[in-house]
Amino acid sequence: MAETAFERDLIGPMRASSPTQANAAPLPEKMQTGATLLIRALENLGIDTVFGYPGGAIMPVYDALVGSKLRHILMRHEQGAAFAADGWARVTGKPGVCIATSGPGATNLVTGIANAMMDSVPLICITGQVPTPLLGTDSFQEVDILGISLPIVKHSWLVRDAAVIPAIVEEAYHLATSGRPGPVLIDLPKDVAAKPAHSPRAFALPNDGDVAAHVEQGLADATALMRQAQRPLLYIGGGVGLAGAAPALRRFARKTGIPGVATLKGLGALPTDEPLFLGMLGMHGTKAANLAVHQCDLLIALGARFDDRATGMLASFAPHAKIIHIDIDAAEIGKLRGADVGVACDLKYALNLLDPGPLAIEDWVNRVCETKQAFAWRYDAPGDGIYAPALLKALSERAGDDFIATCDVGQHQMWAAQHCRFAQPQAHLTSGGLGAMGYGLPAGIGAKLARPHAQVVTITGDGSIMLNIQELATLKRYDLALKILLLDNNALGMVRQWQELFYEERYSEVELPDNPDFVEVARAFGIDAFRADKRDEVPGLIERLLGASGPCLAHVVIHPRENVWPLVPPGRGNHEMLEEDAR
Amino acid sequence: MSTTLYLLLDRAEGSLVRLLGLIERRGFHIDQMVLTEAGSERNLTLKVRGSDGSRSPDVLKRQIDRLYGMRRVACDGTSDGPDECCAKGRGQPC
Repeated sequence: MAETAFERDLIGPMRASSPTQANAAPLPEKMQTGATLLIRALENLGIDTVFGYPGGAIMPVYDALVGSKLRHILMRHEQGAAFAADGWARVTGKPGVCIATSGPGATNLVTGIANAMMDSVPLICITGQVPTPLLGTDSFQEVDILGISLPIVKHSWLVRDAAVIPAIVEEAYHLATSGRPGPVLIDLPKDVAAKPAHSPRAFALPNDGDVAAHVEQGLADATALMRQAQRPLLYIGGGVGLAGAAPALRRFARKTGIPGVATLKGLGALPTDEPLFLGMLGMHGTKAANLAVHQCDLLIALGARFDDRATGMLASFAPHAKIIHIDIDAAEIGKLRGADVGVACDLKYALNLLDPGPLAIEDWVNRVCETKQAFAWRYDAPGDGIYAPALLKALSERAGDDFIATCDVGQHQMWAAQHCRFAQPQAHLTSGGLGAMGYGLPAGIGAKLARPHAQVVTITGDGSIMLNIQELATLKRYDLALKILLLDNNALGMVRQWQELFYEERYSEVELPDNPDFVEVARAFGIDAFRADKRDEVPGLIERLLGASGPCLAHVVIHPRENVWPLVPPGRGNHEMLEEDAR
Repeated sequence: MSTTLYLLLDRAEGSLVRLLGLIERRGFHIDQMVLTEAGSERNLTLKVRGSDGSRSPDVLKRQIDRLYGMRRVACDGTSDGPDECCAKGRGQPC
């Protein structure tokens, strides 16, 4: 269907959204179109930055962006926009907003939406859609993004009436951020976006009600279990950081003296150098953490979901323990492991209320601390090549408390989780649930925009960086001082490691000897870059990378056969971990 | 063993496919379905069966309950009868 005369008049040619948009005149009030209502609603909610990529069906929205207060960050791929919005959201605690056109623009968002769903990140995704008369006719760039995204959003709307747009945006914001956060999607047909709207309806904020009596009872039951326990352990998940409950957790842990372990996403809720923090649990967890889980008699799960990467074989996970499970999402309680006490409530509320008093757990604490000391990481790798764990440890310590790592997926991701120092929650941004390679660079862009003064470092590999390497152009465009540490082992290292260990060294499509020259690639985008491959270069590498005033990439060559240890083999319990020496 | 779910949900675009998709993705077969429209709402009775013994109807009920636009959920075989839908409050475990 051809555009209406009204649409033609309204839309006009595409205009650059940044940095010229601030100088353009706003649309007059009488021209309040659906698109304008959308932009105004976002502004009214306090959103100041959005990430996106324009195209045909979303053109009315991009037109309405001209002259708006919103800062639009033009990414180079819609997946990059979703990941950047994700990074922004994790760091700010506010919803990230990403915008794409219909069809391929919308489908390119899908991985980012799924990532946000798995990791409980508040995201508002806005997609253009073909005009309503063309819906269901297989028209150009039409795809049923509402249907495609159903399993990976908290909720979604196909807007058919421009008057409801402000209400939907407010509802979307509320839903994305309330309870367990997550992504929502607003699919906006082009004609709805382009038409003027009258009498916009308001959104009535739902009353979430008071804390129910059974929550109080659940917390009392949990307190009683803690008093009985001789070997209690905190199992800290990503929900602690999402709930803003890290300060309450720290007070609770220090007051009770209960040791803790964390999931990949829970790292930093307790500082990783806290004496009673035993490290990450699970497949690549520390021996101290996994043994403590195996030996504890009470496991206090906080904002964790008993993910298989954390539990190993579920039947042998914490076999001697009673379970207290506290989570905002009632559907997580008992989903995989039954809870002796399950409490569906806000973690900050719970942790501030829980007070078991003095606990007689000295023997237990001494035991786990001895194990932690006995199996502490070693950094005395042979040879003169760069040992990635030692580099990551030194880099994170040099970066200080304001260090934020955005990781890709693979060996470097696990090394970062094991060896980096994290002083704050939401300082370790990674695609935990979905495991999406290509997350690190765009998420780093979002994080750096959100926290310009933080030392944000994207930790990536030679496999992962290639999945969204086009975002180097975004980095240059906005001249963001994001630092990229690229650990290059000329392979898809984690897959290679599994082929070595579990597929009798039959290496299949994992070697990458034909990688490009990453230094030259970065320079082609206008980004400072350098290479290092000797251990004695590490101190200078760290200083140069962290000290750079603009974007900078360090291409670090590591040994191609380095593996991540320890490792819990698939189908085994966490206490049956393989270690390098025992292999 | 089958379980009967009693549901009251908003009559919004996509609400049925959202619900049915969730039930199947979470490992349940739908054996029987009765739907009646009531103004802006839909009453739905579903007989479902887990694909294996590890599937808990109670967990499914809570997963359904967190769907936006779901007004009431109850199931037989749990402590809540159909007239006591989520008597403990929205989103709380039985």
